[in-house]
Amino acid sequence: MLYVELLAQGLVQGSIYALVAVGLTLVYGLLRILHVAHAGLFTLGGYIGVLVTNATGSLLLALVVSMLVVGLLGMAIYRLCYQPILDKPPYVALIASIGLFIAMEEIYRIAFGPYGISYENPPLQDVVHIFGITLRLGEVAVGIGTLVLIGALALFASKTRFGTVWRATVTDPEMAESFGVDIIKVRYLNFFIGSALAAVAGVMVALLNNLVEPTMGSVPSYKALAIIVLGGLGDVRGTLLAALALGVIEAYGTIYLGNYLDRDAIAFAFLILVLMVRPQGLFGRA
Amino acid sequence: MLQLKNIDCGYGVFQAVHDLSFSIETGQVFALLGPNGAGKSSTIMSIAGHVKLFAGSIHFDGEDISSLPARERVKKGIAVAPEGRRLFPDLTIEENLTVGGYSKPKGKEAVNRDMVFSLFPRLTERLKQPAGTLSGGEQQMLAIGRAMMAEPRLLMIDEVSLGLMPKMVDVCYNAIHHLKSQGVTILLVEQNTKRALDVADQVCVLESGNAVWQGSAADAKKDPDLIEAFLGMTKESAA
Repeated sequence: MLYVELLAQGLVQGSIYALVAVGLTLVYGLLRILHVAHAGLFTLGGYIGVLVTNATGSLLLALVVSMLVVGLLGMAIYRLCYQPILDKPPYVALIASIGLFIAMEEIYRIAFGPYGISYENPPLQDVVHIFGITLRLGEVAVGIGTLVLIGALALFASKTRFGTVWRATVTDPEMAESFGVDIIKVRYLNFFIGSALAAVAGVMVALLNNLVEPTMGSVPSYKALAIIVLGGLGDVRGTLLAALALGVIEAYGTIYLGNYLDRDAIAFAFLILVLMVRPQGLFGRA
Repeated sequence: MLQLKNIDCGYGVFQAVHDLSFSIETGQVFALLGPNGAGKSSTIMSIAGHVKLFAGSIHFDGEDISSLPARERVKKGIAVAPEGRRLFPDLTIEENLTVGGYSKPKGKEAVNRDMVFSLFPRLTERLKQPAGTLSGGEQQMLAIGRAMMAEPRLLMIDEVSLGLMPKMVDVCYNAIHHLKSQGVTILLVEQNTKRALDVADQVCVLESGNAVWQGSAADAKKDPDLIEAFLGMTKESAA
């Protein structure tokens, strides 16, 4: 039963990685920018989730507010931070992004205090038994929520006209523009959706740990970078699978290798091993 | 319909085309010929709005479109099947056509798609197949079909026959003849001079970014110096 329980834990953790990493890989696909500050939006999502839940008692409302505010802020970051420097070499945007991320952490420290905040009445903490394994309701919610959101995103991207155009723009913006696509609009949409998903991940992590602190984005930030490399940069499906794989590997790894390597070291050992064998990523084309 | 007036264009500090002027009349097929690196693709992409003009102007239907963004030019009626086709490789045939018709109302998509399928029946056989897995000939058909989804009045096709089997070249040129008979104005870039001269009305020969010869295709076929010097054919094969 331990194996199954570890698998479930790994998939829950992997779902959270997936929600963060999808936005990152979308931005990379569209703009060839490593959007490090994305993890800062994840943190803000967590803060808004806790603050709104504590103020209103509704986790659902908190989730919606968090997605909207963080999504809009993601669009603002594109407009104010990236758009003016898009014609510069990629490292310029990378440096700007790292700077922004550090600034965001410091702003959270000033605004919300250095020690972090928690839910006054943490929701979804009850324990449920499914198929003989024990999970918290929050963990079940993470799994189901991720499925619903990613499923909706996949439907939008494959079944609607604008979704098709969006995927086309990610692979060749110039050609998409040749057929009348306003690529600025696509970029805004891209940042809104990616950032809103990161906000959901932030709310979920806050729920599982019952803690939001200024630096909670730092580990996810570099882990999400590892995941999008594993998934084949810009490849959404690869990123989702890589995120789930990493979550599961970490879950088993902490039990069997925990005495030698900690959780994050296991994740990066996995990254190094995979890239030695498949430099184009787990699912990328050569 | 289209006038280029003394255009200089290129990438960054590199100037690919010098002081080029020509005009294309409605319903004509106009061929841009010349060796690799002569500036043919740069010219096409500057008309599409992707290569910057350093000087000169481009007029379409009498209107100066020189500073119009690419997405507005397609709405005016200019569509391109570019060098290397540049299909969206992960998207299916069907989805590539959807993107091609994005500048038109959604309601016209089905009609235009049927038009493309009657032009290239082969595309109907694998609607759900990703464009990246198609053969070279099928990719060229899809690239032309994708451009036709925008209902262009000026269709620009870069390197029609490059890398295609002779049979596929025939299919593409049959389509070009058919579109010409429908009144579509066409700007071709081609290395296969004979094929281009057979369909073209007017010809412009470029070399190192300069126009070295302009005139009718009939005159081009009759000019032995031109054919030997720039187009790399013997007189017999051109006749």
